Amino acid sequence: MSDNQSARLATLVALAEKQPRLGRTAVMKLCYFLQTLRNVPLGYRFTLYSYGPFDAGVLSDLSTAEAFGGIESKTVLYSGGYGYEISPAGRRRSVKSLGSGFIKKHGSDLQWVVEQFGNFGSADLELLSTIVYVDRESAQAKARRTPDELAERVHEVKPHFTKPYVRQKVAHLQELKMLRSLRAASGNR
Amino acid sequence: MHLSPGRHADFDDGCLTAHMAQDAMDGSSCGTELSLFLRPVVYSSVGGLEELARDTHRKYEIRCPVHGFIQIDDWERQIIDQPAFQRLRRIRQLAFTDLLYPAAMHTRFEHSLGVMHTATLLYDSIVQKSGELLKQQLAYDQDGLARDRRLVRLAALLHDVGHAPFSHSSEDLFPKRGRGNEKFTHEDYSAAIIRNELRSAIEDHPLNGNTGFKADNIAALIGKGTEAGRAVFWRDLINGQMDADRMDYLIRDSHHIGVHYGKFDLRRLILSVIAIPRDKDDRSPQLGIEEGGWHAAEALVLARYFMFTQVYFHKTRVAYDIHLREAMKTLLPLGRFPKPEGAELKEFLKWDDWRVLGLIGKGRAGEHGRRIIERNHFREIYHTPEVCSDKDDRELRIVKAKLGKLVVAQESAKKSWYKTGNTDIPVLSKVRRPRVQPLSKYSKAIEGMKENNQVLLYVDGADREEAEKRIRKGRQQK
Repeated sequence: MSDNQSARLATLVALAEKQPRLGRTAVMKLCYFLQTLRNVPLGYRFTLYSYGPFDAGVLSDLSTAEAFGGIESKTVLYSGGYGYEISPAGRRRSVKSLGSGFIKKHGSDLQWVVEQFGNFGSADLELLSTIVYVDRESAQAKARRTPDELAERVHEVKPHFTKPYVRQKVAHLQELKMLRSLRAASGNR
Repeated sequence: MHLSPGRHADFDDGCLTAHMAQDAMDGSSCGTELSLFLRPVVYSSVGGLEELARDTHRKYEIRCPVHGFIQIDDWERQIIDQPAFQRLRRIRQLAFTDLLYPAAMHTRFEHSLGVMHTATLLYDSIVQKSGELLKQQLAYDQDGLARDRRLVRLAALLHDVGHAPFSHSSEDLFPKRGRGNEKFTHEDYSAAIIRNELRSAIEDHPLNGNTGFKADNIAALIGKGTEAGRAVFWRDLINGQMDADRMDYLIRDSHHIGVHYGKFDLRRLILSVIAIPRDKDDRSPQLGIEEGGWHAAEALVLARYFMFTQVYFHKTRVAYDIHLREAMKTLLPLGRFPKPEGAELKEFLKWDDWRVLGLIGKGRAGEHGRRIIERNHFREIYHTPEVCSDKDDRELRIVKAKLGKLVVAQESAKKSWYKTGNTDIPVLSKVRRPRVQPLSKYSKAIEGMKENNQVLLYVDGADREEAEKRIRKGRQQK
């Protein structure tokens, strides 16, 4: 197993320890935030889907972490739908030890991401991560947007949210200084 | 060559026929009526055609061993005729798999057409069954649906246009993006080729007057961009659990190599795929299947598993992938492919299987080129179970230590492009009340499936006996 994969497995176990009954969507988005907002080098390649940034590699690593006994995943059925709950398992220490150096180095980032985003529901995490994705794409293309323009672009991708709700989430991330492409509404491009 | 209305014509590959769409609809001769739309088009020489008065509404049919006939229109044909797309005729779908399965000689060209065809069938079925949901949750109207149907067709057609020679086998040699460790992918090359080499063919065709597409819209659905807007919903048809790519390659690869592992009930599956609201939590709609089609979905997942273990991750095929990668390293300037940017993109497009095979044949690909010619491949000496636990991982490390420098390569199923990964698919039941459950709740086989994370170790054939001896000795010591 490569060092990078060991680090990723250890990260997944650490997240499961910090946030009990973590959902699979939450794991995906927390990994995205760690990599994008905190520059934690997990090595995933996220692509934007209608349900937010996604990399099948995260699910693949969850599967390996489960095979190694570091986590356990349970399917939870509820009215109209289902989800997956991820919890630490018996061999969590052993799996975490594979990437102990990495966890030590990025422990504060893991704590931060759980504190900032751990309590959001799946729909909000999908929306928040989509906002960050669109923002980073704009920043990379050196395109500056007002918060309303950014919200408009996000709404094109996720039209099932109302525009005021998208704007509210953009404002939330702006307040936390997590967005890079924003310009003032009256400023020049 | 001039085509008269209704006349079938043979093209360069002998498998393309053309006829006027109007003929198909009402059997009439329509030359006079449609002459209003005729315009002269100078074809590239790639298709072997001369200057041709061309009707933008003409339809063409291409024979396909999997789907029968695949219909394309004039716009799509203009794109297909571009050198960047024709290059796919010279890129094999399965690299050197023919050294195990001799008939594995098919190319990315026919697969790309097949993916476009399959994606269209899926799209039409989803719109028919889930039209209301798409209208309510993604604000589609009829025009929007017609527009995105075209977008999905073109994205599916072009999704593989950025492949390197021998498809996935040489992707390790893609250059790094920026200063980090992240490398470009074939999707990045596809998107760059669409935005550059194919821009004019996409944007300037008269039929684009109906959609106003920019090449960027199509590139975004394949690459990482957000220009596709709400159409990112359809990305799952291009790259997802039940995408058209996977459906086509499993059946096509099985057909060509003569195995049955990859076959499943495609028609049933297509009729079962729907858009479903994911849950009460107001998350985005997602692709899933109706309850009646769960066996077809189960068969797709199992087909993928069988094809992975029997074909894509077959120990000998993997060995040839290693030799090919090393041979390519010798052949490529700087040991890597040119970047998908500027002048380097044009250089990249000059690389195809023919060029590589020519250089290997001339003896310029070093030791690994020679091994390919002589079929003297590395030998698998040890493998972990398909689902490797931490105990298996420890044993692997012990074996590696025993073998020492005899190990010439280590390959992991997790790194394979064809890796099996997540297998769950949402299933919508409407018995009594609408309810969504994962496929694993219906299928015990799927419930029991774990991701294949097998690791293979290779040695030189000359060292096999010594390597076996060391492994045996290690086991006796335990």
